[in-house]
Amino acid sequence: MTAAPPASPVLAIENYSLDYTLRHGTARVLDGVNLAIGKGEVVGLVGESGSGKSSLAWAIMRHLPRNAVEASGRLSLGGLDLRGLDAKGLQAVRGKRIGMVFQDPSTALNPTLRLGEQVIEVLMRHRGLGRAEARDAAEAALAEVELRNPTALMRRYPHEASGGEKQRVVIATAFATAPELILFDEPTTALDVITGARILELFARLRERTGVAALYISHDLGLVSRVADRVSVLRQGRIVEEGAPEAVFLDPRHDYTRRLVAAVPRPHRRLVDDAAGGDTVLAANGLSVRYGRRRLFRPPPPPATKAVSLEVRAGEILGVVGESGSGKSSLARGLTGLAEFDGGIHATGRRLDHARQMDKAYRRAVQIVFQHPDSSLNPRMRIGDILARPLKLYGGALSDIPALLEQVRLPADYARKYPHQLSGGEKQRVAIARAFAARPSLVICDEITAALDVSVQAQVVELLLALRRQHGTAYLFITHDLNLIRQIAHRIAVMQQGELVDLRDAAAIDAPDAHPYTRALIAASPAPVG
Amino acid sequence: MSTGWLLRRLFLVAYTVLVVSVLVFAITQVLPADAAVTLLGENATPEALAAVRDRLGLNDPIWLQYWHWLTAALTGDFGHSMRTGQPVAPMMLTALSRSLLLALLSILLMLAVAVPLGLWAALRQGKAADLVTGFISYIGVSLPEFVTATLLLIVLADWLQWLPATGYVPPGEDFWDSMAHLVLPVLTVSVIMVAHVSRMVRSETIDVLHSDYIRAARLKGLAPRSVLLRHVLRNALLPVITIVALDVGYLLGGIIVVEEIFALPGIGRQLIVAITARDLPAIQAGALVMAVTYAVASTLADIAYALLDRRIRYD
Amino acid sequence: MTDLLRRLLRTPQGAIGSALLVLLALLCLLGPELAPRDPEAIDFLGRFRPPGAQNWLGADQLGRDVLSRLMTGARSTIPLALLATLLGTLAGAVIGTLSAYLGGRWDEAIMRNVDAVMAIPGLLLALLLVSSLGKGSLNATLAIAIAFTPGMARVTRSVALNVRAQDYVKAALARGERASFIVLREMLPNVVGPVVVETTIRVAFAVMLFATLSFLGLGAQPPAPEWGLMVAEARRFVHQAPWIILAPALAIGVTAIAFNLLGDGLRDALNPRDER
Repeated sequence: MTAAPPASPVLAIENYSLDYTLRHGTARVLDGVNLAIGKGEVVGLVGESGSGKSSLAWAIMRHLPRNAVEASGRLSLGGLDLRGLDAKGLQAVRGKRIGMVFQDPSTALNPTLRLGEQVIEVLMRHRGLGRAEARDAAEAALAEVELRNPTALMRRYPHEASGGEKQRVVIATAFATAPELILFDEPTTALDVITGARILELFARLRERTGVAALYISHDLGLVSRVADRVSVLRQGRIVEEGAPEAVFLDPRHDYTRRLVAAVPRPHRRLVDDAAGGDTVLAANGLSVRYGRRRLFRPPPPPATKAVSLEVRAGEILGVVGESGSGKSSLARGLTGLAEFDGGIHATGRRLDHARQMDKAYRRAVQIVFQHPDSSLNPRMRIGDILARPLKLYGGALSDIPALLEQVRLPADYARKYPHQLSGGEKQRVAIARAFAARPSLVICDEITAALDVSVQAQVVELLLALRRQHGTAYLFITHDLNLIRQIAHRIAVMQQGELVDLRDAAAIDAPDAHPYTRALIAASPAPVG
Repeated sequence: MSTGWLLRRLFLVAYTVLVVSVLVFAITQVLPADAAVTLLGENATPEALAAVRDRLGLNDPIWLQYWHWLTAALTGDFGHSMRTGQPVAPMMLTALSRSLLLALLSILLMLAVAVPLGLWAALRQGKAADLVTGFISYIGVSLPEFVTATLLLIVLADWLQWLPATGYVPPGEDFWDSMAHLVLPVLTVSVIMVAHVSRMVRSETIDVLHSDYIRAARLKGLAPRSVLLRHVLRNALLPVITIVALDVGYLLGGIIVVEEIFALPGIGRQLIVAITARDLPAIQAGALVMAVTYAVASTLADIAYALLDRRIRYD
Repeated sequence: MTDLLRRLLRTPQGAIGSALLVLLALLCLLGPELAPRDPEAIDFLGRFRPPGAQNWLGADQLGRDVLSRLMTGARSTIPLALLATLLGTLAGAVIGTLSAYLGGRWDEAIMRNVDAVMAIPGLLLALLLVSSLGKGSLNATLAIAIAFTPGMARVTRSVALNVRAQDYVKAALARGERASFIVLREMLPNVVGPVVVETTIRVAFAVMLFATLSFLGLGAQPPAPEWGLMVAEARRFVHQAPWIILAPALAIGVTAIAFNLLGDGLRDALNPRDER
């Protein structure tokens, strides 16, 4: 399949460069970008954070920050010069000729306006409809995105609808004015796996039906290669590679693309090939974690996890997957004594019934690394002081700090730095070093790569595996990314609404006798091309 | 809004009143004044003093005195003023009605000025208009009421002679004269609130202007007017209710000073008079009435906010 | 620390506020020495003398030099306002931190009572306290400190709860650190910043409140050159000599503005987003 640029494109970006004026000079965010989208074509734009992919979207929508300077280039929508538009002309393009679907539907909708109103106002503005006609058209548009009972939904406020419903409303609004082009800015990133997969299916059907051209922006190369006709890879403001998705994915030319492709988790490419040991490091028996307390006039809060039983063996990687609200993080909190629990924990040769029974031996043996690198290190402490704490508590010499840093592949002089001087990936390495300073037998990893770019995620995972080879540490690896966990886990536990619904060997996760929810999760996380 | 939530709010008001009553009673009990001496004068015979103490229950244990005072207060009986011998409750209620008029007019004026000012500054963020209003509001919040009042008096009443300086005329007597007498007090009370609230409106509006849904509204090609009126205003002005409710505390404090300066016989002036005269029942009644007013006002604001903002969950 | 100062002085509010406060601090330390005349010296011939060569800011109803009284008076207003705020902050911080640390039912009970006390307007509470403690500067200071306590407790608690929810505190808890270490080393350094900002802005309130109490005759007593008292005494002579009233009124305003500016500057300087 060849991927020649279209002859008469809907959108043409030619040699476009953009600078941001900063306090210390200017920074180039887009550098000579060329991109064309033909009629009915979907072009994927892939890049990591800081690549300039969002800036390109704002440039097309003519919504640039005040310090932006357009250095060169043309942006044209079917012959119309977008850069030359005045305010009036712009309003006639936005929402009418170019629609946009935003990343997070819960912030992209006005919280104080009914959902129906937010569709109606766009229809009245761009299709010149009266209020009654617009209401009917809005209902039709919502039915078009396969929402059940549009009439009732239109009367609801955003907080009364689910994330998937809200994103469908946003999509319905974008399609309702029959635009020539729609920009999708990471439309599934803020959604749960299964909801996101349904949104993608909807997108495919709508595309078929309307033949709209689209620019699909994402950090996820695997995902883009499934939805796009052509893919462009953006790095530091430059398009380093473009072509058909299969070509880019299977035979990447550019070094960066190669690394990016290698970093995409593939469920069948195992990164761990040994078997786990036989001894049990930690066992949870009917563990229930409950938040809040009984109060006057209020019903008691539901437990965040309901009687979960599992065990982790020495050196084992046990994956825990589930969507947000499934109770997987509450499990981590119960096991580390951050939340009160019912039921029992067996570890270090004893049984614990309460968080206060966790002694120094237990706390040393069971360490935790959190999701958000920005909040897991005390901003007022130097890295060296942060790493010194576990050494002081559990025994160890301060002279070990350089070795600890080296172990997570950070230079020894980082000990003198403060957290805000580090990047997200570096902070997460420090958090890992802090956990390993205790020489633990189990490290609980609570979504530790969720906030990181794909290539950084791959490095962190690789680091964890190296540390495991070195120390024989077991991991309880909590994640929403089934493809990632299938690469590294020995066994996978699946949680849904606080309950453990499935627990099986990673190799048998797609077996026919798996729980229906497990199978739904697998279906929603297809393996990338190749 | 569930009835459970409403009941909880009302329960909290009742609890607040209880705590305030204990506090007010406790503080006034420490007053180095013998009520019997205040009542009968320095030359009263010891027998007469003892008889009055007995009649007033001053020999009872303190908690029993509190209990008697509270139960009487709950039926609207705050005792008799030591200064005038009149029942305190009707006196305080009349005074309160005058103060409420002053407070209400001040809030209305404040809203009429502060909201447009804050919006205007937010829409011109970083430009001269924003910096100038910001600077003026800085001065506004930094001047205590008695300074503002004195400055206004010098300029408007003394130099320009536009307004009467002090005094109070009931609205029923001569409406326009009554209003003329209220202008200076209302202006004074509003200044500090205008300065504060306009700054809050500005920062709320700026937050809303930077929100994703406003960006989305613009990128949907909606007219700037409708983005401003339908999307920005609604979200920026909701929190103002809470801010105004919090400012009621300052408002009541300001009223005390302003009524004293402009000789306006409201609850604040009654309190100052009572404190100067060590008139125990009047102090207790005045303080309690003020605190209840505050508690009721902030609860009403909570309810209004809840009715207007559908997002709040009442759990 | 020097880093913080540099960032503070880079913000316009911080620079102006600091400059004004340095001036005011000099006045508090050296005011009486620098004053051109004796602030108490009565001169009947010079009554209501307008500002000029002899009295730069004019003379008052007793012929006392207004500028000298103003310079001497800084000492009887600003240090006491600072003291009142510090006492109130300290008491409030202890209550707020304790409440956040205890959590649960205790937290709820403490905060309900704090809210209830806050239903009494600050000025009214101060008035009630002064009326039972007796008039005078020190009692006014104490009253303001008590009136500030519940508000500071609320602020400290909300900041402390915010910090307590951070992952580094959870990490310390999971590590099994002692409570004292978590409170003192992990939480306190992160709580101090916002509380200092709030405290600074409250000094402005304290200056205003203290002057108001003196104005109402319950704070400093004559013939002290306290600014609020000077305004109160000068009110009767507005017609003859507006400068007697304008000078102390402006002094109060400038002091309050200085602390407000410093507070806003500190808030910007402490904002970690500004760091890179």
